[in-house]
Amino acid sequence: MQEDDRQSLETLLPIVYQELRRLAAGYLRRERQGYTLQPTALVHEAYLRLLKDKPDRWQNRAHFCAIAAHSMRQILIERARARDAQKRGGERQRVTLDEALVRGGERSIDLIALDQALERLAALDAEQARLVELRFFGGLTIEETADAMNISPATVKRHWTVACAWLARELEGNSHA
Amino acid sequence: MTPARWQQINELFHAALEREQPTRHVFLRTAAEGDPDLLREVETLLRSHENARGFLDEPAWGVAAELILGEPAASLTGRQLGPYRVVQEIGRGGMGVVYAAEDQRLGRMVALKALTPEYTRDPIRRERLAREARSTAAFSHPGIATVFALEEIDGELYIASEFVEGYTLREELQTGPLAVDRLLPSLIEIATALAAAHERGIVHRDLKPENVIRRTDGQLKVLDFGLASTTASSEAPSFTRLTEVGVALGTPGYMAPEQLGGGEVDARADVFAFGVLAWELATAEHPFGRDPAAALARMTELMGGGSASLSRSLPVAGLDGVVRRCMRAAPAERYPSAVALLADLRSLERGATRQPAGAIPLWWWQCHQLVVSALNASMTAAVWLIRQWMPRPYGSVIFLVALMLATVSVTLRLNLWFTSRVHPEMLDRHRARLFPAVLGADALLGTAWLAAAGLIAGPHDAPAALFVVVGAATFASLALIEPATTRQAGLDRPAARN
Repeated sequence: MQEDDRQSLETLLPIVYQELRRLAAGYLRRERQGYTLQPTALVHEAYLRLLKDKPDRWQNRAHFCAIAAHSMRQILIERARARDAQKRGGERQRVTLDEALVRGGERSIDLIALDQALERLAALDAEQARLVELRFFGGLTIEETADAMNISPATVKRHWTVACAWLARELEGNSHA
Repeated sequence: MTPARWQQINELFHAALEREQPTRHVFLRTAAEGDPDLLREVETLLRSHENARGFLDEPAWGVAAELILGEPAASLTGRQLGPYRVVQEIGRGGMGVVYAAEDQRLGRMVALKALTPEYTRDPIRRERLAREARSTAAFSHPGIATVFALEEIDGELYIASEFVEGYTLREELQTGPLAVDRLLPSLIEIATALAAAHERGIVHRDLKPENVIRRTDGQLKVLDFGLASTTASSEAPSFTRLTEVGVALGTPGYMAPEQLGGGEVDARADVFAFGVLAWELATAEHPFGRDPAAALARMTELMGGGSASLSRSLPVAGLDGVVRRCMRAAPAERYPSAVALLADLRSLERGATRQPAGAIPLWWWQCHQLVVSALNASMTAAVWLIRQWMPRPYGSVIFLVALMLATVSVTLRLNLWFTSRVHPEMLDRHRARLFPAVLGADALLGTAWLAAAGLIAGPHDAPAALFVVVGAATFASLALIEPATTRQAGLDRPAARN
């Protein structure tokens, strides 16, 4: 990615972040009203719009998605850490995943633990870690992820299945520790 | 674990997944013969795969919605906080929840804003906020909701300010644009408040329709003055800066490009926000579009140094020019503060037919029109004088052609000059229509001067030199001087070209 693209993307991030807030708010609102929600992939949308506007500038979509997904991860982890820091010396509070979202009993996602597990996964298989980042933090669908990573949807699915299982196991171990 | 080992586990995991439950176990036993560790790895993975179906299926912004938005603050309604009795919640913003509360020391109602922890946990920011609150509290103006105090109660920060009952301009906009007769007075009211603050060096930083309330008696009040200061130092790593900014970030559509980029912000950022606000009040539409992604694209344009391209004109004559100047990408091209802006709005209100003082610095452009007109006319006269020196029939032909072209050019230029004096608000459209003809006529005139010079050169070198100089000057003027004065006059906007 070109240096100036990267720069303008960074200045755009507050807007991406704002959009993230909007999506989250919409999510909560609908969740409370009992809708099931399939949020649009923000990154995907933002990219398409930019592409339409400046076709010559944002050609490298894979990079755009990767950077946007990565920044969302950064934002979330940063906030989760900040919240931890607030709890002086106390038990770390977990970010609770709405139970309705996960069949199979009570579960919570500790974002910080997830982040650390993702780092460990990256050491084993960088591609899988990148894929999880795009899917989970960037909100891309299987097909979009395949597109962004230039691999087949079937491969994405395979990687996704095993990475999720591994991460779930890691987090489980973490919560028992 | 090594990547190679992980690869091995992966393969076995997928192979096992393809088999149905009863045969799966047998398959695994056989496949992982003599490697109990591998067997355990794959089995636990399979188990967690079964148990955690749907794990991570929801994107992060759904899972962590609460985290992104901050904890939904517990309502303080009914509680006693120091001298304040909290009566009811009246709003939620980026900085925190706002309550109507009774200050029991003075027996008056106040708006009490409970600041979110993100806003206050950092000591540097806290100190800065305290300083801002002090400077704002020392200042009162009828158009600004006065800040009474920054209170620290049980370790939490609260801002107590004037309680204003009424509707925000955002609410007012829901029923469409402001009525034309109400528009300018409202803008002047807001600009008056801004100007008073700017004169004292106080910058709002987050002006938007949500932050302006129309009281039940009609008076407008600007809220949250100077409190939106958020950014840490600009050297902070961008991600940290981002999250920092994110907490108090208003609607990005109102932030000046330099503010979005995290740069230093002064009164001119408020001027930019005022431009957006004015546009919105006049049209009930956001100038960059409602959609955040579109706004984002427009903002990139702005940050690249472009001007906000606005396609329509506003209902009040002359307001267009003022608003466009507010929304210039480069701070130096905007009004230096709301003081100058207010002066222009006032002169619009007086219905001044003259160009509002300083709204667009037209002087150089006007001069240019007059000088070129005078030059074209006198050169045509000069051709008349020297026509006998040219071989027949060139003298007469060149003179007649020059006369025709000069008539076109001078007429149109004087016409534009006249428009700029009498109907500045129409100048944009007028110029866009007429200028191609002027350009063509002048270019041909320049050619005519050079031709005349060629025809008289030799016996009459001195006048020929004069014609060469003027011909060259004509082209230089078209290529360099005219664009410069036009740009300086602010007539080169995309809108004019569209």
